[in-house]
Amino acid sequence: MNMTAKIREIGKQGRGREELLAVLREARESYGCLTPEVIVELAAGLDLPVGEVYGVATFYSFLSTRPKGRNNIRICKSIPCFLKDSQIIIDTVAEAIDIQPGETTADNRFSFELTNCIGACDKAPAMMVNHRVYGGLTPAEIARILAEHK
Amino acid sequence: MAKPGKGTITVTINGSAAMGSEGMTLLELARQSGIEIPTLCHHEELSAIGSCRICVVEVEGARTLVASCHTPIAPGMVIQTHSEKVLAARRMITELLLASHPDSCLVCDKANRCQLRHVATDLEAAQPQVRGRKRCYPIEDVSPYIKRDLSKCVLCRRCVAACREMAGQNVLHMAYRGFNSKVVVDTDRPLDKEVCRDCDICVNVCPTGALSLVEESGSKKKGKPLFIKG
Ligand code: SF4
Ligand code: FES
Ligand code: FES
Repeated sequence: MNMTAKIREIGKQGRGREELLAVLREARESYGCLTPEVIVELAAGLDLPVGEVYGVATFYSFLSTRPKGRNNIRICKSIPCFLKDSQIIIDTVAEAIDIQPGETTADNRFSFELTNCIGACDKAPAMMVNHRVYGGLTPAEIARILAEHK
Repeated sequence: MAKPGKGTITVTINGSAAMGSEGMTLLELARQSGIEIPTLCHHEELSAIGSCRICVVEVEGARTLVASCHTPIAPGMVIQTHSEKVLAARRMITELLLASHPDSCLVCDKANRCQLRHVATDLEAAQPQVRGRKRCYPIEDVSPYIKRDLSKCVLCRRCVAACREMAGQNVLHMAYRGFNSKVVVDTDRPLDKEVCRDCDICVNVCPTGALSLVEESGSKKKGKPLFIKG
């Protein structure tokens, strides 16, 4: 069953609300990002108000509503990582790929954003590249980590 | 006061016994007993929201202060509605709200009908000690009926609940998170007459000057002057 049909099925069964997160995740994977057009379409299929779908989509930073590069760098900006000098890591990454948090490189290779705690406080300062967590970071390691992601 | 009987619950509120029926909230019982607890997000005709925490009270044995507007009474509860700790918490919450609120009260059309202002006055809240960023949004007046000035919004969510529960519409929703939280229409587009039927319901429940009728600007009385309760 393709995605549109599946979504319509969920909507018809009145399970839109309970399946919403799963559907948003899947849509994010296949469309790359949840644009307003995608959200309007999903809401119609799931039989939910557009605002509700938009609200959930914008609440979770992992459900991007803006286009992203091929690799997504997320550096933790919460307090435990901050106390372990995450700012130096942020600055090092920003310098290495020459963009600021919230931006995407011109060649579309990296998107860069700051995120709240990613549950790796024991390995602070921590960051994620796509789905992989890197902890105990030092500026010296950044170049090597970035080189892993083409 | 309710007669003792099946489903009657007795609690101690500020040192005196009070009786209420099962399912009643602490706030309802307090009001029934003539005790005034300030509220912002709570609205009698809406289901509990519990977002503002202005209504907190002390319950003996509870780990934290509890929000009275959505906590049901339980047998034997010992409640303080105006202890030092409670007042300090309410004041702090108000000051935090004021810290990110625009300083436009003098010219705001809600003026003395503003519930945030009432709460702040009653609590004798001080000038906020915290310096925070203000939430700034352009005034939205595309709709011929309703003007939204979301810089003044305290995110109580009353309008969201009222649109759903009272108007039976689903126009308003919460989006984004944390400091960026905002009441949005669809995918965050302006409230215009295409999406909104103009029932005024959200305007009437808004405790602040965030929502107002377009015609209202300057044309209505600003309410009675505020008196600080002793
Ligand atoms: S617009 Fe008014 S009613 Fe709606 S959340 Fe903001 S303060 Fe509350
Ligand atoms: S604070 Fe950075 S991972 Fe938890
Ligand atoms: S009035 Fe109880 S939490 Fe807002």
